[in-house]
Amino acid sequence: MRNVERLCLAHFWVAFAAFLVAALLGAWQMWVRSPLGANVGTPSQYFLSVTAHGVAMAYVLTTFFIMGFGYFVAVTALARPLPGKAWAWGAFWVAIAGVVLAVATILTGQASVLFTFYPPLTASPWFYIGLVLVVIASWVWCVLMLVAMQAWKRENPGRPVPLAMFATVANAVMWLWTTVGLAVELLFQVIPAAFGFIQTIDVGLARTLFSWTLHAIVYFWLIPAYIAFYTMVPRAAGGRLYSDTMGRLTFILFLVYSLPVGMHHLLMDPEHGNGTKFIQVLLTAFVSVPTLLTIFTITASLEIAGRLRGGRGLFGWIAALPWERPMVLATGLSFVMLGFGGFGGLINMGYGMNAMVHNTSWVTAHFHLIFGGSVVIMYFAIAYEIWPRLTGREYPSLASLRLQLWLWFIGMMVMTLPWHWLGLQGQWRRVANFNYADPIIAGWGPWVIVSLGGGLVLLASALLFVGNLFALHRSAAMAVARPLYALAVHPPQRVPAALNGFGLWNVLVLVLMLMAYGWPIAQFVIEPSPAAIVHRVE
Amino acid sequence: MHPDEPSAADSPFEVADEVDEVALAAVMRHVPLGAGVLAGAAVALLVLGYLLIYLLVFLPRGTVG
Amino acid sequence: MSERQPEMHERRILGTELLWSFGVGVLIAATLSIIVFTALTMGINPPSNVERIDPKALHLSGEFAEHNLGTSVAADGSVTARIIATQFMFVPRCIALPHGRPVTLRFAAPDVIHGILITGTNVNTMVVPGFVAQVHTQFTRSGDLLMPCHEYCGLGHSEMWATVQVLPEGAFQPDRDGRVSCAQR
Repeated sequence: MRNVERLCLAHFWVAFAAFLVAALLGAWQMWVRSPLGANVGTPSQYFLSVTAHGVAMAYVLTTFFIMGFGYFVAVTALARPLPGKAWAWGAFWVAIAGVVLAVATILTGQASVLFTFYPPLTASPWFYIGLVLVVIASWVWCVLMLVAMQAWKRENPGRPVPLAMFATVANAVMWLWTTVGLAVELLFQVIPAAFGFIQTIDVGLARTLFSWTLHAIVYFWLIPAYIAFYTMVPRAAGGRLYSDTMGRLTFILFLVYSLPVGMHHLLMDPEHGNGTKFIQVLLTAFVSVPTLLTIFTITASLEIAGRLRGGRGLFGWIAALPWERPMVLATGLSFVMLGFGGFGGLINMGYGMNAMVHNTSWVTAHFHLIFGGSVVIMYFAIAYEIWPRLTGREYPSLASLRLQLWLWFIGMMVMTLPWHWLGLQGQWRRVANFNYADPIIAGWGPWVIVSLGGGLVLLASALLFVGNLFALHRSAAMAVARPLYALAVHPPQRVPAALNGFGLWNVLVLVLMLMAYGWPIAQFVIEPSPAAIVHRVE
Repeated sequence: MHPDEPSAADSPFEVADEVDEVALAAVMRHVPLGAGVLAGAAVALLVLGYLLIYLLVFLPRGTVG
Repeated sequence: MSERQPEMHERRILGTELLWSFGVGVLIAATLSIIVFTALTMGINPPSNVERIDPKALHLSGEFAEHNLGTSVAADGSVTARIIATQFMFVPRCIALPHGRPVTLRFAAPDVIHGILITGTNVNTMVVPGFVAQVHTQFTRSGDLLMPCHEYCGLGHSEMWATVQVLPEGAFQPDRDGRVSCAQR
C-alpha cells in the first residue's frame, strides 16, 4: 500500500476539489434560473458556469477519481506494487495540464459550449486540447491496469483474478473503446475547425461520434460504484458476496453492452432512421440487465449479512443490518436513488416515448439522480472507506459521515423529483433565465424554488464531505488495519478463461459496434452530410 | 522509508473474514427469499410505473412519428 | 459442512440468479413488446425522416424560402408547417395548427444545432443543420402552447421560443393561398 498513497490522494484531491467548485456553481445556477434570482447573472456568466460545472463533474471528478481508485485496487486487491508508477505520475501531470488548459479557456469565456460541445458551435481549440490531454492520461491508466492484471496472472497461473481488479480492468478496456468516438470527433473534426483549418463541419457525423462516447462514459463512471457494491459492501455489512460468478458476469455485460447503445441519445435526431434507432433501443434493454442482476445479487448479499446478525422473517434482516456504517448506509440510499433514476431511464429509452421527455428537465433530473445520486454517493462511501488506509488515521466518529450521506440523499431527491414533474410540463434545458410572466411558465416557479432548496442541501453536503476528509488528515487516532474486500459465499478456486480475461469479449464488442454503429457512421464517410459553417460561441 | 511492500493485510485471500461457516450454512437456507421479494417488488413497481406513464400521460398527448 | 453441500449451494445460488434473470427477461420483453406494438399499429416512432438539405442555402431552397414558411393546407387537405430555427429565433414566431387533424411539421436550421418541443404534446425533435427535421402528430387538445428551442445554441438560447396556437376546427381557416396565420389576440 505504501507506494501509492500519495498517488491516490493526489488524484482524489483533484477530483474532490473540482467537485466542490462545481457544486458551488451548480447552486448558483439554480438560484439564477429560479424566480428568486430572476435579475441576477447574464447569459454569458450562466453558460460559462454550466460549462465549468459540466466539465468538472463529468470529466474531472470522474476521471481523476476512477484513476485514483484504480491504482488503489491494483495494489490492494492484487497485493503487489503498482507497475509503471512513474508513468502513473506522468499521466497525472498530463491530466493536470489538460484541466488547466480547459479551465483557462472556460473562465475567459472562450469555451461556453457546455460539456457536450456539439458542433458547429465551436470554442477555442485549447479547450478541446485540454480535454484530449485528460483522455490521453486516462489511456495511460488503462494500460497500467492491464499490465498490473497481466503481471499478477503470470505470477498466479490458473487463479481467478480478484473480482475488484477484474472489474477495474473491465472498466479500463471499456474506456479504451468508449473514447474512440470522442477522440475521432475531436481530432478529425472539432479541433481542425476550432483552429480554422476547416471552415465547415459534418454535423451528422459529429453527433453520431459523440453519441458513441456519451452513453458508455456513464458506465465508466458507474463501474467503480458497482465495484464497491460487489467487493466492499458485503464485507462492510458483515456478510458475504452472494455470487462471485454473477459479479464477473455483470462487469462483462457492462463491457459488452455499454457501447452499442449511444444512439438512444439521438432518438430525436433527424440524421438517423427508425431501423438503427430501434436496434440501439433493443441493445439498451440489454444493458439494463447487469443493473437488474446487481440489484438482486447485492440485496441477497445484504440479506446474508442481516440474517447473520439475527434478522428473521421475510424482511427482518433489513433492520438488522449495520446501518451505522457509512458504506452500508450509502448503499441503501444509493439503491433508492437507483430505483427512481432507473425509472427515468426506462422512460428515456422508450423509443417513441423519448419524444415526451427529450431535452426537458426530466433528462436533467434523470442524470443528476442516477449519476450525481446513486453513483456519486458511492464515490463518497469509497473515499470514506479507504481514507484511513491512505492517511494512516482513523475517524473520531462516524456521525458526520452519516450526516453528509443523508444530506446528499435528501438534497438529491428534493432537487430532482420536481425536475421530473417540470419536464413533463415541458420545461426545457440549458436555460439561463425563464420568463416567469408567461402563464405556462409561471406555474413552474414554485417547483423550481423547491428544487433550488434541494440544491442548497447538496451544497451543504458537498462542503461537509470535503470537511470530513480534511478532518481525517488531522485526526489524532491511528488507523487500525481492517480488511477491505469481501469473500464470496463460495470463493472460486478456478474460473473459466472467459470470466478471467477479456479476449473473447473484445471480439463481441467489435461485432456489436459494427452492427450498431457500422452503417450510421459509414454513411457519412460514403456521403458526408451537407456541411454546416463553423460558428464561434462568443 | 518503508519498502515498497504491501502488507499481508492487503491480500484478500489470506485474510479470512469473521463469518462462521456453520452460521452461514444455516442462513443460506433462507437467502435469497427476502432479497427476491424486495428486489422483485421494486422492479414490479418500476414496470407498473412505466405502463401507467405510457398509457396515462404519453399516449393522450397525441401520436408522434 | 459435508462435501456435497458447498456444491449444492453454488448450484442453488446460480439457479436463483437464473430464475431472477428469467423474470427480468420477461419484464424487459413485455416492455419492448409494447414499444413494438405501438410502433406498428399506431405509428408511434421517434421522428426519423432522414432528408438532407444544404444549410448554407436554405433561403434559396424552394421549400424553406421565407414566403413559404408557416402553416399551409395543400389541395388534398394535408396540413404542413414549415419553420426555420436560427440563432436566436424561429421564423415564423407563431404557428397556427388545427386540433384533431394529422399535421406535419418540418424544420431546418442554417446555422447550429437547435431543437424544439411543444409543451404538453409529444412533438419533439432536434434540428440539425444539414437535415430537414420532420414530425407527424395529431393534437389532442386546443390552446396556446410554447415551442421553445430546447438545445443549447449559443448565448441567446434562453430567449429563443415560438408560440403554437392549436385552433379548433372552426377557427382554422386557410386563406386563398392555403396559408393559415395565427389569430390576433
